[in-house]
Amino acid sequence: MATEYETFVRDRSRVLSGREVVLTLRDLSPGRKKYRGVNVRAVVSRPPRPDEPILWIRSVVGLKEPDPCSVRIVEELPEAFTAEPYSDFFDAMEKAERR
Amino acid sequence: MTHKDFRSFLTAIEASGDLVTINDEVDWDQELSAIGRLACERNGPTFLFSNIKDYGSQIRVATNPIATWRRFAVALGLPPDTPLRRLYEVYAEREDKAIPPILVNDAPCKDVIIPGDKVDLFDLPVPMVHEGDGGRYLGTWDLVVSKDAKTDWVNWGMYRFMVHNERLLTGFPRPTSHLGKMLLEGYVPQGRPMPIAIVIGADLPSHIAAAATFRIAGNEAELAGGLGQRPVELIKCETSDLYVPASAEIVIEAEVYPDRVAQEGPYGEYPGYRSGEMGNAICARVTAITHRRDPILTLDTTGFMDSSATTTSITGAIAIKRRLEKHQIPVVDVYVPPEGGVHLAVVSVRRGGADVAQKIVEVLTARRALMSKIIVVDEDVDVFNMAAVIHAFATKCHPDRGTHITRYQGRANTLTPAYSPQERIARSGATVAFDSTWPPEWPRETTPVRATLDSMYSPDVQRRVAQRWKKLGL
Repeated sequence: MATEYETFVRDRSRVLSGREVVLTLRDLSPGRKKYRGVNVRAVVSRPPRPDEPILWIRSVVGLKEPDPCSVRIVEELPEAFTAEPYSDFFDAMEKAERR
Repeated sequence: MTHKDFRSFLTAIEASGDLVTINDEVDWDQELSAIGRLACERNGPTFLFSNIKDYGSQIRVATNPIATWRRFAVALGLPPDTPLRRLYEVYAEREDKAIPPILVNDAPCKDVIIPGDKVDLFDLPVPMVHEGDGGRYLGTWDLVVSKDAKTDWVNWGMYRFMVHNERLLTGFPRPTSHLGKMLLEGYVPQGRPMPIAIVIGADLPSHIAAAATFRIAGNEAELAGGLGQRPVELIKCETSDLYVPASAEIVIEAEVYPDRVAQEGPYGEYPGYRSGEMGNAICARVTAITHRRDPILTLDTTGFMDSSATTTSITGAIAIKRRLEKHQIPVVDVYVPPEGGVHLAVVSVRRGGADVAQKIVEVLTARRALMSKIIVVDEDVDVFNMAAVIHAFATKCHPDRGTHITRYQGRANTLTPAYSPQERIARSGATVAFDSTWPPEWPRETTPVRATLDSMYSPDVQRRVAQRWKKLGL
């Protein structure tokens, strides 16, 4: 498992709610596979918990929040979400969250 | 005649002093792209990186093939110092002389064939283009082939694609693009995956044709032949019935899901901003990769003054001129300044006024609206001379009566930085025409006269001044 990830969020309160949420994480481990995407069901904590991988949050324009979180991955999900092309990706994640 | 493939183009721009090769190790994670970005911002050369961190020297990366007018000229087989107006003229002449492609059975792009189950996109040194992008972008200077589900129409377009994992790509051909139209109207209703081929490093005319603003159902392969003055050689894909330019360095064959999405973006785009348009894209599963031995991956370090800026400057301007002519607008010249991020067009007309400006803005936003600002000038203003254009705009455009706005829903450019997130999601926007012409109803005897040498002095004085200027060695 990676020790550092980043994720892009539109509604940060959802991600930081302390409950299980569906996210796409980008693996920040150095090397050829840096930035590999993985869809997960996870719990995000701020301040970060010492025994969990670091998670950096970025906005929809890519701005990085200065303070890190941590992430506990509960379950890895399929590589794509069910929705028609051009559907709102964040809505698709929230629908997957409710399943 | 133009260069038959990307490698011979690189040889030509090396000879003209427009290529720099870097043999020292460079990091694919931002550093390589940042060098290319600086080159865009300083009118610098193409870089060919031959030693990439984590990847070594087996696959090279070339940046911003035609981000300058010099390299654009070479791509059309012209001298690098060809004047801009002449480049526009040559493009327009060749666009009218389409040459059909020919099919071949063997090509270097098939030197290495990787079947889908062996594909790992991370084996390619795909750059992280900007800090804060949603991922690594493989498709920046590409050519994406797709075929209509109901007809024989084959589209070539230039669309961005990002690596999600070993075999999954996400991309953002806009829903109003030709590929988007094919997908939404053809394949999605039938629940069928849409085959595509992402072509990297083909001959330059093929990429220019793909990036060109071109009519629906137009044949970009024939356009590429016309632009290059030679037929483009096409070869069949391994996993679909699509045909791709045989000269390609790398071909990524894939299928777009009709019922799946994954994260795409955000990405620093051609308008020069990362606008937060992420969240409504497509995703595709790679079915095969074929490539040359020791292939070259191409990269446009997308943003202010990238390769798409020059390409769209010419192709967009000519498409605008043809459309205005079709609608009986008395158009003389059109210029799309690359500094405007494909949001600004300058149109000169033989006869201006409010009605003409209003009609121009309506015609140019009827199907999809990429331009958000149009400056309309009289024909005595050289559209390629932005100093003269700014002078006309600043002085002749009435702040109230000279502004003609049209608003639209569902066809706005979602990459326009000025739009709010809500407007971007709804694809709603507006385009304004700034009428910088004299109202035709104004009598000539009271219309202001421009205080420039060519307007406010007699031909005799102008001639004598020119002679004296020359005599003074100025």
